[in-house]
Amino acid sequence: MSAFSPRPVKQPWTAKSSTRSLKIFLASLIPLLVAVGSWLILGIDYTVALVGIFLPLQILSAGIVGFNAFGRRGFKDALLLVLTIFLSTTVLVLLSSVLFSVILKGWHALSGQFILENNIYVSTTTSLDYGGVGHAILGSLIVVAITTVLAVPLGISIAVFLTQSQSKLRGPVRTFTQAISGLPSVVSGLFILSLMPYLHLEHVGFAGSLALFPLMLPTMARVSEEALRLVPNDLRMAALALGAPNYKAFFKVILPAAKTGIITALLLGLARVIGETAPLVLTLSPNNGTNLNPFYEGMASLPRYIYSFVNTKYPTSQERAWGAALVLVMVVALLFASARILGRKKKLKTKTVKKNTIKKDA
Amino acid sequence: MSVNSTNDTKQVRRNLKIKPSGTGDVIFSGVTSVAAMFTFVLVLLILIFLTIRALPTLQANGLNFLLGSTWEPDGSGVMQLAPMIWGSILIALFGILVATPMAVSTAYLIVFVLPRQAGSILTSIVDLLAAIPSVVLGLWGLWVFTPIASHWAETLHKYFAWIPIFQVSNPEAGFQRSPFIAGWIVAVMIMPIITSVTREIFSQLDRDLINGALALGGSKSSIFARVILPTSSGGIIGGVLLGLGRAIGETVAIFYVLNLSTDINWGQLLEPRGGAVASWILARFGEASTLEQSGLIAAGLVIFCITLIVNFIANAIVNRAQPWRR
Repeated sequence: MSAFSPRPVKQPWTAKSSTRSLKIFLASLIPLLVAVGSWLILGIDYTVALVGIFLPLQILSAGIVGFNAFGRRGFKDALLLVLTIFLSTTVLVLLSSVLFSVILKGWHALSGQFILENNIYVSTTTSLDYGGVGHAILGSLIVVAITTVLAVPLGISIAVFLTQSQSKLRGPVRTFTQAISGLPSVVSGLFILSLMPYLHLEHVGFAGSLALFPLMLPTMARVSEEALRLVPNDLRMAALALGAPNYKAFFKVILPAAKTGIITALLLGLARVIGETAPLVLTLSPNNGTNLNPFYEGMASLPRYIYSFVNTKYPTSQERAWGAALVLVMVVALLFASARILGRKKKLKTKTVKKNTIKKDA
Repeated sequence: MSVNSTNDTKQVRRNLKIKPSGTGDVIFSGVTSVAAMFTFVLVLLILIFLTIRALPTLQANGLNFLLGSTWEPDGSGVMQLAPMIWGSILIALFGILVATPMAVSTAYLIVFVLPRQAGSILTSIVDLLAAIPSVVLGLWGLWVFTPIASHWAETLHKYFAWIPIFQVSNPEAGFQRSPFIAGWIVAVMIMPIITSVTREIFSQLDRDLINGALALGGSKSSIFARVILPTSSGGIIGGVLLGLGRAIGETVAIFYVLNLSTDINWGQLLEPRGGAVASWILARFGEASTLEQSGLIAAGLVIFCITLIVNFIANAIVNRAQPWRR
């Protein structure tokens, strides 16, 4: 019988006929062509062409194809897909616009001398061949290093409290840590500013470090808490059962196991504070020269440097701002990328260990 | 009855208590407890010291500090913050309105549409952009985005001027430095946060639930609208509130792209005047007298309280929506 004739079996849900592929192709091409045509040839404004012509047409054409294939549900699916892709593309365009404009505009200013020299004798119109952000890089490093020295032990201790103790206060501590992680940076600056008379502190580097401290602490505490939580509790219990006191179990067993996670926490915390501007504007007076003493006189910092050069009419000053922004973004991206790579390595390790154990069991 | 009997036979798991033993341990647990208590102390210290400095202003202006709209620290000494508070709220709301659909659709794309590799690349990009300093965003906002967005604003005004929020008193003045542009900048800032919270919740959704809906004949759109969104709505709302906290506290980026004005702007998004508490503090502090400093610190106290409350609520919602984190 003809019904049993040998035919290549295609699973019905994966089958895509060539006519449907063609329809999909046309459905995505025609609206684009119409919109681009109306923009370039008819001279319609690009925003109108995009939102008023392209989007409705694309929804319509995708809807027709979907309706053709699956009926009403196909229409709705097409609507969802088109809107999702349209909105996410907007996100990508916006975000990559930020990155690319920093790279493109900052590239001119960047040079060895720009990274190494400081800003003494540089006026708003001095050519880019003189002066640079060397003093700001050093200043940022010193300010952030002091913040790190303060925040890392405290952050890890909070994380230890949250994961190892059995206190009833763990919940409230976690809530407060999360709540201050959304502390507005300007409030942190105002806080240190209103503390300064009591501490007999001037607008020096150390004050800037203190102002960054409440911003770094919660990131440090939360990410190291996650890292400590990844260490199996059995390890700790085993150490305790062998007679180790709590602190030895922590320093010799848990901390080494969670090392990469803690370093990730450190890197993310650094990335969080290195670009903070408002606290430094309020608590640290700027300096055009290189100052390495965090307890005496003002100090330059990268965000503060950008801040003072953003809103000027002079092209060279603007280019300095873009150059410093590029340096800052590169530092942040570097910190971020190393945190990611560290995190990934850890995953790989656990995977291989699992495979080995399975083999042994078999 | 039956419930009771099963309870009786069920083995009760002993709750192991780990108590500090020996001096080393006592010191260890003491140090960590003190560190943990420091979180409370920090919040308290911020509240106390800001209040001490803010007190003169708060006493002089009373409740009008929040409701009035005069700022004359050098003349009458009257300082009132309503235009800035309302401006912050307006910008934050507009930013959320713009950012939320984009963030949710990006998260949907990452988790449910794209292949795993492409999704993780997109995740990395979005996470990296969460770490871009706000001063850099301000630089971009002022020199790159403002010309583009003011063109958008002009187009909006051209076609939708009959809607009250798109009306402008003086179209010749240009469409720059408006809450519309500041709202977009804020949207770019908070989009990564909302995206990452939503993505986390989407990726932890029970796959059986989705497969079950598919088996019952659900389509992609009906699953999105009736399964994915309802089950993760709590988490998304929490993420949006986290974004709201950030948006209210945002300082530097708004400072560059907004014309700060004590003339209150109730909702004309395209009008080139608006307010933002945090940016106001930054803008005024440089040349402020001691009296005005006190007023600005009071303003800081206001946003501290607002963001603290918003963050508490947001984190409570997010934590409830992410039980696997506990």
